[in-house]
Parts: sequence; C-alpha cells; structure tokens
Amino acid sequence: MTSQVVVRPDVRLENAPMSPVSCDTCGARVEARKSSWEQTSIQWHAADTERCLERRAAMPPRIAGTPFGGCASLRTALSRAVDRGELPVLTEADAD
Amino acid sequence: MTTAPDIPRKIESDPIAQRFARGWHCLGLSKDFRDGKPHQINAFGQKLVVWEDAEGDLKVLDAYCRHMGGDLSQGTIKDGNIACPFHDWRWGGDGRCKQIPYSRRVPLRARTSSWPTLDQDGMLFVWNDPEGNPPIPEQAIPVIPGATSDEWTDWHWYSVKIDGSNCREIVDNVVDMAHFFYVHFSMPTFFKNVFEGHVATQFMDGTDRADIAVPSEDGAELLGMRSVASYFGPSFMIDDLTYEYDTGDFKSVLINCHYPVDTDSFVLQYGIIVKKPEGVSDEYALASAVNMGDFIKAGFEQDVEIWKNKARIDNPLLCEEDGPVYQLRRWYQQFYTDIADVKDEMTERFEFELDMTRPAEAWAQEVADNVAARDAAEAASAAAEAESVR
Repeated sequence: MTSQVVVRPDVRLENAPMSPVSCDTCGARVEARKSSWEQTSIQWHAADTERCLERRAAMPPRIAGTPFGGCASLRTALSRAVDRGELPVLTEADAD
Repeated sequence: MTTAPDIPRKIESDPIAQRFARGWHCLGLSKDFRDGKPHQINAFGQKLVVWEDAEGDLKVLDAYCRHMGGDLSQGTIKDGNIACPFHDWRWGGDGRCKQIPYSRRVPLRARTSSWPTLDQDGMLFVWNDPEGNPPIPEQAIPVIPGATSDEWTDWHWYSVKIDGSNCREIVDNVVDMAHFFYVHFSMPTFFKNVFEGHVATQFMDGTDRADIAVPSEDGAELLGMRSVASYFGPSFMIDDLTYEYDTGDFKSVLINCHYPVDTDSFVLQYGIIVKKPEGVSDEYALASAVNMGDFIKAGFEQDVEIWKNKARIDNPLLCEEDGPVYQLRRWYQQFYTDIADVKDEMTERFEFELDMTRPAEAWAQEVADNVAARDAAEAASAAAEAESVR
C-alpha cells in the first residue's frame, strides 16, 4: 500500500508570507507572521526547536502529555522585531 | 494594488485515500467488553471481534475465521478463546488457532490478524497500522491520573455513529476558534494551537458568555475557564478543562475520540470525569458530570448536522481570523503516510496564537511610544555628535 502525500500550503501565505525572526536568547531562527496585534503564527524547524532553552527545560513534561506551550524569550524577540519593522503586522499594513 | 480575477472559486477535493490512520484508537470503555461475550466492532473498513480472555485481558482479532470465513463475533468464548459459530475452530488472542475439536492437528498457517491492544484508565485502545508495524512507544497514550482516583467520578460515556462523513471533519475542530463561541458558548480570551510531533494541542482560556448561563445551580459565580486539549495521535483527545468559580475550581477531564468505520463514517465517542468537589455527595458529583456531558453532547449534535451536509473541501478559503486549518491538516497527514515517507513539515513545531488579553490599542500605542523614544534618542545622540564636532 503506497501513501499519497499531498500537503497544501496555507492560502493566506500567498499574499503575505512569513518573515524570519531570530531569538535573542538561544539564536533559534523561526518563521513568523502576525495577521494582527493579537495573532501570531510561528513555524519552527527541527534544529531550531532543539536550540530553544525554555523548551528544553520543559522536556520531558512535568505532567505526562502536557505539551510545551511556548517560549517567552521568543515572544520578546517577536515584539522587538515588530518594533524594528522586521515583522509586519498585517492589519496595520492594510490601514496605511 | 492587484485585483483578483472575478471568477467563482472552485471547491477542490482530492479522492479520499482508502487507508486508515496509523495510531491508537479508543474503542470504548473496557468494562463494556468484559461480559464474557464476543463483541463486534466495525472499524478500519473491517469487522473486528473483541473479547476478554482467560487472563482477563481484552483481545481483538479480525472477525472472519480463516477456515471458512465464519463470523467470530457471532461465536462464543470457550476456555478464553473465541470459538467460531461455523465449525467451532478456536482462536486465541494472539491470532493463532489453538484447537479444532474435530481434527487432531491444527494446520501450520492457522494464523489470523490480531490487533495490539491497550487497556488503560478504563478504556480499550487498538493500534492500527496499515504497514503492520508494532505500536510506536513515543506515541503511547498518556495516563489520566483522575481516571483511577476515588477523588474523581467514573467515566460518563457517550457513543454515536456518524454516517456520511469522514473523520477528518471532527479533527478540524481543533483549530476552529470561532465555533467555541457558537457551539460551546464560551468567549475565548486566549487561544493557541501547537502542533509538534504526533501531538496537536489547543490551549484556551475563556470567560463565560454573558448571554448564556453555564451550569451552576448553587449560585456560584463563574470567573472563567481554562482548557488544554491535545490529540495524542490521529483520534484520541484529552481535554483538561477547569471552570473557575468564586467558590473554587471545578475540574474535569473530557475525552473526545473516534474510530473510522470506513472512509465515509465513524464512531464518535466522548467521555467525562469530574473531580468531586469538597463536601458534596458522590451522587451530586456524578450529576454534575452528567450535566456537563449533556451540555457537550448538545454541542456535538450541532457539529454532526454540519458534517453530514457539508462538502469535503481541500482548499478552504480562509480569512485572517480563521485558525490554522492547513497546518493542522499537514500535521494530520502524517498518520496517513507510510512511516518512511513522513515529511519533516508534518511533524515540525507550529504555533498559532491569539492573545486577546492585551488590548490591541494598548499594544500598538506601546510600539509607537517605543519607536518615538528610539527616534528621539537617535536625534539626541545625533545632536550631541554634531555638538562635539563643532
């Protein structure tokens, strides 16, 4: 039995792709996208996931099955990237 | 400024793969299979038989006898083996024929398909793998401490067969934030999806919708709710759900699971246990579990009506406010892919967060202030530099 692998890309990335952002703490490089002030998407890649110190500290999870919720250092790095204009906030771009 | 061509968008739908997801699937409460009788389960496009053997272990075999095709689920249990109703061939839980009462010798190749089982926290699971490999240790179902504790109620369990729908539809719910407002009557203040490895999680904090009362008969005031719900593999979700009242927390664990019958129907099951609040009777605690279960049932019933009538759509047209449907499906695809063909992108960590706790205006203002402060600082240092040159 062969498997058909069809993975479609998110239609929303056609007009507004993700932007690279590096974490100031561990140097992990992720792709990020903010559709609004409230919304953030983060795509990690395997090697960078391993770099993340907070994730490492959370593994293995204290309670079996509790997933790592997210990295506070990266959150700060994302905010700074917004400040520097490296990570656009899409609703803001529309308003301009 | 680009303009999209003004033509109707076509709904695309790839043919449904005639295979079933790799992973653990819950078949129901294990006690329901412990009545000394064989049980028929239609799953993964096949007919299975489930029974309790002489050691008290639950066993699962393909239901069709390899002798002449008799249906073992119509048979009887003899000495812990399943006996075919057709010619009384006896099959053990390991899939081997143990005895043919009218024959001196069992044929060499008398072996049928058996399914790895897991009997944990009162639930029976089978491992499905189209490639026939044993269970993946890292994908074990986590233990639920409350399920075996006297401080919690027993499972209150529901099971319903959904016809005319592929089980992918229910998995899509993980990313559907908007449906919480309409179906589960809660107002999210924080919502986050994390997909990593074989686990897909939904974190949600919410407040009660002011227009709809949440079950609280004793006048306690609901302050909010916290939910962490994870699919461990393709079909089994554990939701740690806590309602916070001014009188204390009301803790519950919800199970939301399914197994495919075929590619166009599935059995949806959900269960609930609640932590017995201090100073209330077991009956009261159970009643609150039933209350909550019925509340959730009403929500699922609305979903079911949608699923039965909707089109399968592989190219959903999403707005920015929608959740990560494509990324969820990319994650889900790993379970329908031979293990050697699973791509990194299917298992790599992805996060989608919506944080409403920090007002957008305040945040935007903060950034504007930071930028203004930085500009001012740069202007000041430039002025100072100019001063020193002079």
